[in-house]
Amino acid sequence: MSASVQRRPGESILSNPLVGRALGCLALSFVLALMIGKQEGTQQDFGLAFRQAVLGPRILWFLLIGVLVFVLLTFWPRVQPYLNRPGIRPLAVGGLTVVVAYALLKWTDSTAVSDGKFGTLSDAASQTGTLAPLARTFFTAPLPWVLFLVAFAVGAAAVVIRRAVLSWVGAAIAVLAGVWAWYSHSLVQSLLGSPDHSTGALVALLGFLTIAAACAATALSAEESANTRGFINGVFAWRPGMPLVGVALLLGLAGFAIATWFSPGNRNATLVDTASMFSTTGLSPLSKAYLGWLGYVLFALSLALAAYAAYRRDARLGWGAAGLGLVSLVLNLVALHDISAVGASTAYDGATGAWQNLGTGGWLACATFLLLAGAGYIVATAGSERGTIARTKADIAAGIGKIPGKSKALILFVLAGALFYPPMATPFWQKVLVSEIGIYVLLAIGLNVVVGWAGLLDLGFIAFYAIGSYTTAYFVGALPIQPPEWMRLSPLLCIPIAIIICLIAGVSLGAPTLRLRGDYLAIVTLGFGEIIRIVAVNNPGNFTNGPRGAFGIPQPEIHLGPIHIDWGQASLQYWYLLLVIVGLVILAFNRLEQSRLGRAWAAIREDEVAAQATGVNTTRVKLLAFAIGASTSGVAGVFFASQIGYINPDNFVLNNSILVVAYVVFGGMGSLPGAMAGAAVLTWLPEFLKDQVPAEDRQMWIGAVILLMMIFRPAGLIPAKRRAAELHGLDEPSSAETTAVAANEGMGATK
Amino acid sequence: MSAVIAEPTAPDTAQRDVVFDVRNITLRFGGVTSINDVSLQMYRDEILAVIGPNGAGKTSLFNSLTGVYTPQEGTITLAGRPGDAPRSVIGEKTHVINHMGVARTFQNIRLFPALTALENVKVGVETRMKAGPLSAMLGLPYQRREERESTERAYELLTLVGLRSRANELAGSLAYGEQRRLEIARALGTNPGVILLDEPAAGTNPAEKRDLADLIRLVNREHNISVLLIEHDMKLVMSVADRLVVLNFGSKIAEGLPEEIQKNPAVIAAYLGTSAEEAAGEVETQPELHTIADDTANMTSLDDAGATTQEETP
Repeated sequence: MSASVQRRPGESILSNPLVGRALGCLALSFVLALMIGKQEGTQQDFGLAFRQAVLGPRILWFLLIGVLVFVLLTFWPRVQPYLNRPGIRPLAVGGLTVVVAYALLKWTDSTAVSDGKFGTLSDAASQTGTLAPLARTFFTAPLPWVLFLVAFAVGAAAVVIRRAVLSWVGAAIAVLAGVWAWYSHSLVQSLLGSPDHSTGALVALLGFLTIAAACAATALSAEESANTRGFINGVFAWRPGMPLVGVALLLGLAGFAIATWFSPGNRNATLVDTASMFSTTGLSPLSKAYLGWLGYVLFALSLALAAYAAYRRDARLGWGAAGLGLVSLVLNLVALHDISAVGASTAYDGATGAWQNLGTGGWLACATFLLLAGAGYIVATAGSERGTIARTKADIAAGIGKIPGKSKALILFVLAGALFYPPMATPFWQKVLVSEIGIYVLLAIGLNVVVGWAGLLDLGFIAFYAIGSYTTAYFVGALPIQPPEWMRLSPLLCIPIAIIICLIAGVSLGAPTLRLRGDYLAIVTLGFGEIIRIVAVNNPGNFTNGPRGAFGIPQPEIHLGPIHIDWGQASLQYWYLLLVIVGLVILAFNRLEQSRLGRAWAAIREDEVAAQATGVNTTRVKLLAFAIGASTSGVAGVFFASQIGYINPDNFVLNNSILVVAYVVFGGMGSLPGAMAGAAVLTWLPEFLKDQVPAEDRQMWIGAVILLMMIFRPAGLIPAKRRAAELHGLDEPSSAETTAVAANEGMGATK
Repeated sequence: MSAVIAEPTAPDTAQRDVVFDVRNITLRFGGVTSINDVSLQMYRDEILAVIGPNGAGKTSLFNSLTGVYTPQEGTITLAGRPGDAPRSVIGEKTHVINHMGVARTFQNIRLFPALTALENVKVGVETRMKAGPLSAMLGLPYQRREERESTERAYELLTLVGLRSRANELAGSLAYGEQRRLEIARALGTNPGVILLDEPAAGTNPAEKRDLADLIRLVNREHNISVLLIEHDMKLVMSVADRLVVLNFGSKIAEGLPEEIQKNPAVIAAYLGTSAEEAAGEVETQPELHTIADDTANMTSLDDAGATTQEETP
């Protein structure tokens, strides 16, 4: 506060900086009030929206926001030291999560509750006499908000005052509120009795648990400032593999004790119910035993073995746990297959084949066993990791060096989710997973080679996707011009041909544009993308069938000796095909990034002249980037064409190219996991928001997310190590002390 | 300009193996002549220094030798490594010339800042390797072997320049002198027969300069790599160079042994901005040029002297 109190005569009161700031803040709240809520007037009354915004009592809330901003700005130097206290960030995240769950998310999919939001549901629930009193109490009007505000306020007070008692009280209230909300919601669900995939209650529970964790962190941490990353590193470094065992314990308990294994007629049969349900049917003895007792025993055994191996850091026990986990996983899958096959053989609940009508429990058990096997594997291999490994506590807290098993554990979490979440999801989300998330992840991986690694901005990337799609359409005979009979191929066999054609296309785009850089290259590639689309529209030689495109592209199939796999309409099967393709591409590209070509790409991106002078053949390296990126896109095109069955030029518009670039930038340019995460998040978000916000507001929310990212993580969700250095690493002092080079070190050889 | 061109007086030049044979090259940018009819020979295993005031055309000469610029007239032939047949480099691409055995460093350091020191050197080492993208994606055994070899070689070179302990630091985070040495290591990684150093001592302190001189001698004597050096620091140049070539306004004004150059009136004139005749008189009173250089060592170069010359000379 440097406001001068004394005013010289003749100076207006407005020149006082405090007054100016106060007016600015009030103006801000006024504008906010106009922006939020209904916007349009009526034919008779154009001033309606304005009056609603400004003259109603709700303007007071906005003015309060303005005053709060003013107070914060004015006392900022005093507020700031508190912002680094341990627990403050989880507290903010948790609070925000709960508010989102209360205000935005759906709490039920049942049509009995009009929009399914928390407000509507709680009104209805509090007036339902048949609901258990505990749940009714929770949903009674101000209580949920009061609980939240009390938990948040006590948490905030604990952060500021740093009293252990206060922290534990806050944590207790938060846990209580979260569990109460979850329990009340599940009671409401069983009353409504319809299948439900709403996320509100779960998100609220997570938010409350985060607040509780923040309180606990405040109580437990001795330091003045927070070190979240150090804390997480510490968790992973304590015993490699143990975090996986912990998560597996939770998943396993949920899977074996609570979750539905089989859902005939919307009934939720847990493992016990399922076992009794199938006790008299012709289930194989092994599966019967698994449902009856073997499953529990295997869970307990592999959990104990993995935990003990992790605790003792014993590699042999680790391999044992890995083996036991895998065997259990296979047995579990066999049992799941058997019960669903028996269910299908009796056409139970309209089932037509195996793997139908299964609940979440079996898949949770699968994830559990996979994680336990992974934990064993991590224990077994933790000792043999190469590179600089963080050994001391200080190193772990500061994030210097590798934490053994951390990246493997994260990969296993993602893998478990990718393998066993989709069968639990609704058909809608399965479709989104395949035709949005999966395909765009593959495209983003391809574009990341061109944009992220080689630093060549390509705005026509979707053209190669189109080329891959049309190649497939031609070779399966779905276009007006038919290939000769001997050249007709099944869609999966088109993949190598599409790769070759896209390699050629990539090189032929790359070759003439090699001299261009930056914006100029972007413009030319953008033109290339449009040329391909317009050629497809113009139908030269009746090849592309013009705007109508190609239809009747067959589904992929494999007939290899005794193996017959036929992909039908169900999205889930495509998901696993896509998972195999993406997995292979990731393995290959991960090696590529660490190879001499990956370093040569980084070199031309950083300094092309120096790269040339160091002997890098920049022409070849750039062409390879274009070709490899293009062929990845071509594979995605083959997949897309044969999955969806029909293509036309509208699938390949400029907008899609720009979206893929946005995904790569959002995720972190030059980072393989980043590009994938960026594509996954930004394709998931619009679909997710469909249910949560009015359709007109969807783009606004996505824009807000991107804006927040640009402010808080400008290098992307998961920044590349090499790129991160480029963005800010150079100004930072190097992590190690600058040691003076000993007089003769290296120059040594003074003979 | 009435320049006196001293004949090369190095012993038994006739028998020596020529690395670079530059004959009458002229390089123009529009109306500006950057290099004017320059000829020079560089012999195997020598340290040849090119000196001259700012704007004399030294870096243009380097760029012509490495294929960044293509001179309009004249010929340049190169026998990069011992036993190579002489080949013209005019019109060849930079990376091809590099593969012929010419490595260089830059006046303003041009590392790959976002790669580690080790990776920087590996980029250089690996330009001599064969494994393509497919073998990298499949992780074929011979690609892995090459990878191991390049890592080993890179560590050797980092040890040579004294950066072994900094191998996993990002190049951009190294100290200035370390970056200079890393650039040399990266250049050596390409297994050159001749290395072109463009002002390697610029911006380094006296201790680092001594280390650098040791390094240059070591590279030259132990590894049998010919060195072509541009440097403003006269003390360094006089201590390491076997022979000197002096450029001024794009023309060669002198060539010879260090002690001859120090007494050469044309050179002194070029640096001090007086005519050759006056300078000849000055040689008596101030026989050793490098004492002048010593005085100006803190300026890292004789830029200012050079700048004034340009204004005053017709």
